[in-house]
Amino acid sequence: MEKPILKLEDLYYVYGNGKSALDGVSVDIYEGEKIAVIGSNGSGKSTFFLNINGVFTPKQGKIIYRGTVVNKKNLKGLRKNIGIVFQDADNQIIASTVRAEVAFGPMNLRLPKEEVLKRVEEALEYMNISDFKDRPPHYLSGGEKKRVTIAGIIAMKSEIIIFDEPTASLDPINALMLEEVLDKLTLEGKTMLISTHDVDFAYRWAKRVLVFCQGKIIADGTPLEIFQNKEILKQANLKQPTVMEIYELLVEKHLLEDSKAYPKSTQEFKKMLEK
Amino acid sequence: MGKIKGIRHKHGEGFSIDFYAYNSHIRHWNATFKVSFSVLILILCIALENPYVSVVVIITMAYLTIIKGALSVNEYLSILAIPIVFILLGTFTIAIDFSKHPMGQYNLYLGFCYVFTSQTKLKVVVFLILKVFAAISALQMMTLSTPSSEIIYVLRAAHVPKLIVELMNLIYRYIFILMDVYTKMKNSAESRLGYCDFKTSCYTFGSIASNMLVISLKKANTYYDAMEARCYDGDLIFLEEDKKVETIQIISAAAFIIFLILLWGFTR
Repeated sequence: MEKPILKLEDLYYVYGNGKSALDGVSVDIYEGEKIAVIGSNGSGKSTFFLNINGVFTPKQGKIIYRGTVVNKKNLKGLRKNIGIVFQDADNQIIASTVRAEVAFGPMNLRLPKEEVLKRVEEALEYMNISDFKDRPPHYLSGGEKKRVTIAGIIAMKSEIIIFDEPTASLDPINALMLEEVLDKLTLEGKTMLISTHDVDFAYRWAKRVLVFCQGKIIADGTPLEIFQNKEILKQANLKQPTVMEIYELLVEKHLLEDSKAYPKSTQEFKKMLEK
Repeated sequence: MGKIKGIRHKHGEGFSIDFYAYNSHIRHWNATFKVSFSVLILILCIALENPYVSVVVIITMAYLTIIKGALSVNEYLSILAIPIVFILLGTFTIAIDFSKHPMGQYNLYLGFCYVFTSQTKLKVVVFLILKVFAAISALQMMTLSTPSSEIIYVLRAAHVPKLIVELMNLIYRYIFILMDVYTKMKNSAESRLGYCDFKTSCYTFGSIASNMLVISLKKANTYYDAMEARCYDGDLIFLEEDKKVETIQIISAAAFIIFLILLWGFTR
């Protein structure tokens, strides 16, 4: 069996006000996985991400990245290899031009300037925002800001990329564009974790789903397993993806043959109906 | 407020200077060159104290900003209007004096006293206005063609203490975020009749101000997390772009300065 790229053992995290946010989280993450992290508001997803990245230090528990336990000394290595795209782009953009913003991470890695410039150009190209590299971030729209923050992480060449509710503030076209970027990153073998409230997206995109509830992972499995388990969905304040619900309805009313081949998207559903 | 192609203008008049700088056609000029050139001209204007020099500087700076920088004349004048008002108000008091008896070359009887002035005094004032105006237009040339972030880079290169430079960077970025937050809060208060009368308006304004403080602290925290997540370790370093200074620019700048000094020498 292949070794996990990131292994979390029994993480506990308590906020300054005594509120426990993570309550014994253990999970193994393998290279190239596409993981959706779902759960209600305040269930510990964001805290979990900041712990993985080493911004928050867990009260108890271990983070093992590629076989080495993360401690204060090699923290920077961990952050270099795990990038977070934050939910609110305005909380992430710090520099006063797009180019300087994308270069912020690579500059902090103390790379030589030529290398930084090369990476910035590549990342801008990747996100298709080369046109406004000299613009200040406060003259960009929400979708453009999001692309800038993603470019900033791509320029760091992290192995694991975490997206904290990326689709939350995007219009459908921008959300579609984001999914295209995610597909592109998958082809490059990046490991991705995405927290989302959009169950349809999680069901369609993810290969593995982690369900958070009150600081614990209450379920870990394929999207199909998770979304068929009504008990877990109820416990975590979630609902079934629409496509799945409709499929089950049709099967129940004997309009469709119960082949257990759940469609992932409307296109797949259409094909199934045309058969 | 006219719309300029490329970047959409979102904020009020107060931010237009920053906005013009991003649209200026001479923005690609080396920032250090522009800053040092305009500061040098500023010093020359003050040190030489010569009306001819001032007039030449005013014309050249207007040429650079309007023709080279492609800013419309109207906008240039409206930006200069604010300092002009201050200059006129300030120099007016120098030009006139009060007296009980009629004196001076020109006087005006106000009923209880005389306001008087003389030709020499008027000359002094006109020269002063020209000098201040020239100095201001030299600085305007810089601010209207160099975005704040680039001016900050120049300051860093000039070995201004790191703390100040980093603070300037953060404050610059933060102003826009706070403006956005304030506008949103104001609009939402407005939609709930928060400004229906004077008393309520005061109360709403106070609440928004205190709320802004809380939000700033919160934002500072999330900002710090986001920076740490990208390997920030105490030094705020940004990518600085190298823009080449063209030899022709240096030569023209030097020629212009020599011309000013010669002009001063001949008209002294």
